[in-house]
Amino acid sequence: MSTEARFAPGDWYAVVGDRVTVLLPVSQRDRVAGLWDLADSGAAADALLDALLAGGLSSLDHFALVAHDDDSTHLIVRGAPTATVSSTGGEEIVSAAPGAAWAEQVLTGVTSVRVTLTGEATADHPLTPGVARVSAVELGTPSASARPASPEAAADEPAAAVEPEREPEKEPEPGPEAAAAEPEPGPGPAPVPAAPVPPAAPLQFGAPADDPTPTGETPVVEDWPDRDGQTQAGGPHADFERPPIPGQEIGPEVVAEPVASLVFSTGDVVAVDRTVLVGRAPEARRFASHDQPHVVTVPSPHQEISSTHLEIRPGAGADHGSAVATDLGSTNGTVLAQPGLDAEDLKPGIAVSLIPGAVLDLGDGVTIQVTNP
Amino acid sequence: MLDVDLHHGASTDVGLVRKVNEDSYLVAPPVFVVADGMGGHSGGDVASQMVVEEFQRLAESYDPRRGAEQVADAFARAQARIVDYGDAHRAMQPGWHAGTTAVVAVLVIDDGVTKWLLANLGDSRIYRIVERRLEQVSVDHSVVQELIDSGHITVEEASVHPERHVITRALGSPEGIRPDFFLLPLGSVERLLLCSDGVTGMIGDEEIEEILESVADPRDAADALVRAAVAAGGRDNATAVVVDVVGLVKDATYDSQRQLESLESKLGGRL
Repeated sequence: MSTEARFAPGDWYAVVGDRVTVLLPVSQRDRVAGLWDLADSGAAADALLDALLAGGLSSLDHFALVAHDDDSTHLIVRGAPTATVSSTGGEEIVSAAPGAAWAEQVLTGVTSVRVTLTGEATADHPLTPGVARVSAVELGTPSASARPASPEAAADEPAAAVEPEREPEKEPEPGPEAAAAEPEPGPGPAPVPAAPVPPAAPLQFGAPADDPTPTGETPVVEDWPDRDGQTQAGGPHADFERPPIPGQEIGPEVVAEPVASLVFSTGDVVAVDRTVLVGRAPEARRFASHDQPHVVTVPSPHQEISSTHLEIRPGAGADHGSAVATDLGSTNGTVLAQPGLDAEDLKPGIAVSLIPGAVLDLGDGVTIQVTNP
Repeated sequence: MLDVDLHHGASTDVGLVRKVNEDSYLVAPPVFVVADGMGGHSGGDVASQMVVEEFQRLAESYDPRRGAEQVADAFARAQARIVDYGDAHRAMQPGWHAGTTAVVAVLVIDDGVTKWLLANLGDSRIYRIVERRLEQVSVDHSVVQELIDSGHITVEEASVHPERHVITRALGSPEGIRPDFFLLPLGSVERLLLCSDGVTGMIGDEEIEEILESVADPRDAADALVRAAVAAGGRDNATAVVVDVVGLVKDATYDSQRQLESLESKLGGRL
């Protein structure tokens, strides 16, 4: 089987190594990094299967694993995924029967394997080793034959579908080659930069590293791209949805009206209409030109206050309209006393909503009183 | 204007593989820039040079009290010029593109205090030496950095990742620019390094730290960094700008004492 591979964008995780591909539903996000580590280090299918099953089968309702070497293809599917295997002998559909732990096949002469996770999207984005969010993957040379319809249950909520109907029906459809030619209002573009560059695509600087020709008076290639060495801009992929960073809440950067006022024991009074950073020598990082944080330097003769100690910002979501405080991993911590509640130590990195009258104690005698704006 | 003395050095090299140096840099204290152009048929070097020209203009009428605003304006002017230049060329030559990264360091006065304002677009980098350790300040705008941030790959994996040269933000992008800014106290930067990925792609952070720690003169340090990158293979244009703040007091207790004194004077000596 050739190593060519394609995918259709979706929610599932595809962990793609050189010889092993593992597909996991979104609920298995925590396993992805570990599996990628293995796949990337060239681990064999058995090692990946070990890692997959290390937490037991009960927490892993759905997965698919495809491993191939020069002459054989090893396929395991559990739960929702359906695999369509094209070989010299024809086509075969592999899916786990209801009640079965999984379906497993070792096949030879395979030309391509399509694993459908959700939906019916055409797998026309090139898939390279790495991690991708997919709804279907196709490994090997594309076949022009049918794709199975995936069961409705699997399409909607793979993690919740305990007993998905396993009746994949063949529906004659144009193969990926033909489908790719049609305009397809599918989800975002591929994250894979090696994708064929459409002539009009903005800011594509060609394939990486292959062309050592520098920009100069004598381009050796007839058509663009010729570019600065190895750097390329990936602008067109901006709307590819990457997995969110856990625990990071996107908050408003600057709000029109301050949500609170901070009265420092040093005499400073600061409005919370943007992020406020407090510390002995605070550093503000990664802000845009329109949302420069307010940095407040406070004295700390006994070094009890860290250089960037505490962040207070307008709250988002449920905390909208109030200020939230986050200890930024300070050495000596921050104590918060809210009216009517016992004083508590802020946990580093955990935002706490502040109510008027709250007092934050940073150490070295520096306190911040929260008042209405 | 600003009561500090800056010593600096800069060095650039086309490397061993490329024919044209598309990196540009600016040393116009207190304004420092490194830009790594990309694009073919002389697009990249023009784009990076446009960034340098706009920051040269900024340096000529620089007001450190409006530093952030002026830097944002310089970025916007450079962006407009590069996009116009690209549009003009595309009319004659479809598919023509030019873009550039940029890292910028300027001194600003924030709340009456002199600080470093740093800005970044793309995968050129800003490092500092703080407490005798090297620390990367800027965060690359690249696909691999996003994969690192989301926990999908480690820094080690990033260095061999197939998408390691794909950047997600650059000047010249038709989608507009979103530079990251950083505001650091003067005292938290013992030495500053701006460099293109022709340096960081060829030598590791340990070697950069070793050079910045061992070579006292910033001119020699910049030379040594670029020479090391070329010696390591020189696959890309390599540029380094090294800046030292001279006369900086590194003793934090002094700093605190000064803060206390300033506080006492504010409160009329009641402490």
